[in-house]
Amino acid sequence: MSSQSDVRFTDFKSDKQPTWCPGCGDFGTMNGMMKALAETGNDPDNTFVVAGIGCSGKIGTYMHSYALHGVHGRALPVATGVKMARPDIEVMAAGGDGDGYSIGAGHFVHAVRRNVDMSYVVMDNRIYGLTKGQASPTSRSDFETSTTPEGPQQPPVNPLALALASGATFIAQSFASDALRHQEIIQEAIEHDGFGFVNVFSPCVTFNDVDTYDYFRDSLVDLKEDEDHDRHDYEDAKEVILDGDKEFQGVMYQDENSVPYHEQHGVTEDMSDIPDGAPEDAMDLVREFY
Amino acid sequence: MAEDLNWAVGGEAGDGIDSTGKIFAQALSRAGRHVFTSKDFASRIRGGYTAYKIRTSVDNIQSVVDRLDILVALTQRTIDENLDELHEGSAIIYDGERSWEADIPEEMSGVDVPLKSLAEDAGGAIMRNIVALGAACEITGFDVEYLDEALEKRFGGKGSKIVENNKEAARLGQEYVEENYDLDLDSDLETTDNDYVLLNGNEAIGMGAIAAGCRFYAGYPITPATSIMEYLTGRIEEYGGHVVQAEDELSAINMALGGARAGARAMTATSGAGIDLMTETFGLVATSETPLVITDVQRSGPSTGMPTKQEQGDLNMTLYGGHGEIPRFVVTPTSIDECFWKTIEAFNLAEKYQTPVFLVSDLAMSVTEQTFEPDTFDMDAVEIDRGKLVDEDEVEEWLDSQGRFRAHANTEDGVSPRAIPGMTDGAHMSTGLEHNELGRRTEEQDVRVQQVDKRNRKVETAKEQEEWDYREFGDEDADNLIISWGSNEGALVEALDYLEDDGVDVRVISVPYIFPRPDLSDEIAAAEETIVVECNATGQFADVIEHDVLERVKRINKYTGVRFKADELAEEITEKLSQEVPA
Ligand SMILES: Cc1ncc(C[n+]2csc(CCOP(=O)(O)OP(=O)(O)O)c2C)c(N)n1
Ligand code: SF4
Repeated sequence: MSSQSDVRFTDFKSDKQPTWCPGCGDFGTMNGMMKALAETGNDPDNTFVVAGIGCSGKIGTYMHSYALHGVHGRALPVATGVKMARPDIEVMAAGGDGDGYSIGAGHFVHAVRRNVDMSYVVMDNRIYGLTKGQASPTSRSDFETSTTPEGPQQPPVNPLALALASGATFIAQSFASDALRHQEIIQEAIEHDGFGFVNVFSPCVTFNDVDTYDYFRDSLVDLKEDEDHDRHDYEDAKEVILDGDKEFQGVMYQDENSVPYHEQHGVTEDMSDIPDGAPEDAMDLVREFY
Repeated sequence: MAEDLNWAVGGEAGDGIDSTGKIFAQALSRAGRHVFTSKDFASRIRGGYTAYKIRTSVDNIQSVVDRLDILVALTQRTIDENLDELHEGSAIIYDGERSWEADIPEEMSGVDVPLKSLAEDAGGAIMRNIVALGAACEITGFDVEYLDEALEKRFGGKGSKIVENNKEAARLGQEYVEENYDLDLDSDLETTDNDYVLLNGNEAIGMGAIAAGCRFYAGYPITPATSIMEYLTGRIEEYGGHVVQAEDELSAINMALGGARAGARAMTATSGAGIDLMTETFGLVATSETPLVITDVQRSGPSTGMPTKQEQGDLNMTLYGGHGEIPRFVVTPTSIDECFWKTIEAFNLAEKYQTPVFLVSDLAMSVTEQTFEPDTFDMDAVEIDRGKLVDEDEVEEWLDSQGRFRAHANTEDGVSPRAIPGMTDGAHMSTGLEHNELGRRTEEQDVRVQQVDKRNRKVETAKEQEEWDYREFGDEDADNLIISWGSNEGALVEALDYLEDDGVDVRVISVPYIFPRPDLSDEIAAAEETIVVECNATGQFADVIEHDVLERVKRINKYTGVRFKADELAEEITEKLSQEVPA
């Protein structure tokens, strides 16, 4: 395994050229992820990236590491399994808002409350990209799409609130085109002891003409510049997360006392290492039935 | 035929029926007797009829029969439910002081024991079942000391006072019968010096998993699979493993897959509705070439069906389930000891061929306990084969010209090298999308065909390299052939005795692999008549067999929710043999 110093972020690049539409937010999201992984001392051989299904889910293909591109909505259980078996491996899950908050919403709640030490990056474009422009769970209630000609007429899911209510220990939001901040936030998620969740505004330039780069650039408020915001304060977190009028980037919440799953449950062994035969004292298992 | 005694305790769910039965079964096993248990239970926690039945003999037994010699009845319903099996000379232990008036058929002996008040004398009404066990010992001439041993095992953890009270309760029950009844059941329960272990099919699967090096288990509770998870929890940790109770079956199978990709031997187990939910991921397991053991403990379906009842109705699901075409193995243990060995084999097959292995059991086997010589589970004989797991020295051989690991290399045998995370130069991606050797998505026609063929080829390789044999009983040269899978084997083996008495010669073939499976065409061609026996209504395995040999077979199907019994099966076979084969 290479040491921290000689890993460059390009080591995480695969030879495959992304097929994303030119200008898709996912380019920026991915670059930030690769840089953050390299910057936090990881290399492709000790990193496992699990991706969902969607334009966003293709991210695993364009990166180089151990990786699995699974079925729609199930990236988090797979990532959880990887980390359980191999606490020594850096695990990152990534996908879209449909993948994470619709078909995978149940897993999201439970992954958050399990607090497994990994990071989860959701490319939130407020639309279904890969299936060509249907409403997603984060689409605005009046957003007209092919399946919702009058808008979904339901309030969007607030993923940050969902995370907070589920007992998240790290909640952040970033913007794909604010490269440095985005990378910095992902890095913090990786370094967090527990489940590091980042909702990334990653605009879809083809199907979403409302939640655009310009829109986010104009409306984003960076919590880093808000001296009153204390990320360790639950009430502060609640306030920004439930603020319906503003869009924020930065770390909303971080539980200082977060104890990751592995520590709580004593899951520390490398489970890939097993003997050639039954364990030495295995006859004890039989004797239990006397 | 075995000289056997059939005993049961029945009452309402919540009456402690299960533990009462288990204690007696353990006492009999401690006395060196063979034991085979079965359970009648309803899908509710309190209320509702439930019974625990024990068949015991000094000879080996592996099925139930339609006969009950001693019944401990805590409710009238227990007597009513078992009327068919009770016979002249059966003894029914009941408590005449309780509010119900036992309606004991005339030709049977009612043994009225004040269970509750004697239990109170011993220290608490809760021990009335133990009083009944003492009474049962007296009726059968069984030494209560064995019962004492079982009570020590059961209550030892709760302190010596509890153990002593229970022993006293048993003693009071025994003495009461001794003083008040003079029964001659001529069931003298012989003891031997044999040491047996007593366990059920799910325990055997759990034990097999640990022996095979399974370290990660993810599951979601569902009857009758849950007890596998319960067994592993608290034990697997001793070996550095971990169990996660997932939020649902979708998660469970995906978590297990994640664990397996990370290099652990991993398993999930479920039943009925759970296997439905997992279906989408079968294809991902196969196409990402991840070694995974998926256990299905079948119960009555469809839908929520009868959760606590026997059926073998998921064969088609495990054999054909999933969209597209999925290379897989379907392994079907035919007895409790085979649950252990086939679990180990399932893990080896999964890693050697990097594809899902379905380990298919059924409710009857999962809840039934049976005695075995401890050596039956000889841990020294356990072999672990991790297949083509490459190490750092071997990885270079599998890199392409740009140094990328060919995780899905198109090999001759269809099996690719496998690198697990952390290994230098092994980094690669796998996807559920069709992909090339590097795991990268492609829709190129020739690569698609190459990868489909490659994955299917591993099944062909396995067909050649592994032994897909069957188990055989009865007369090898008999004209009549009976084929079965799963837990029906025990009843069939015993039915042979009955059939022999009636002068009917049969050969029994019990199949522990449904895919790939042994080729039975010669055996079927040599037989005059073939009957396929299974616990489902449509004959899913019979369909498979007919498809293989292009010939109609006869079928015996039971889908009442209750397993086959030896005597019943013997009768049905005789009857079937005289019928025409359906056109
Ligand atoms: C079980 C299942 N249902 C539906 C689909 C089709 N599908 C593929 S991607 C997708 C939505 C993707 O949306 P999102 O997660 O927001 O990702 P994006 O493409 O916008 O990045 C759907 C519905 C599928 N692959 N699997
Ligand atoms: S459709 Fe939208 S989300 Fe998909 S690649 Fe194009 S811009 Fe990106």
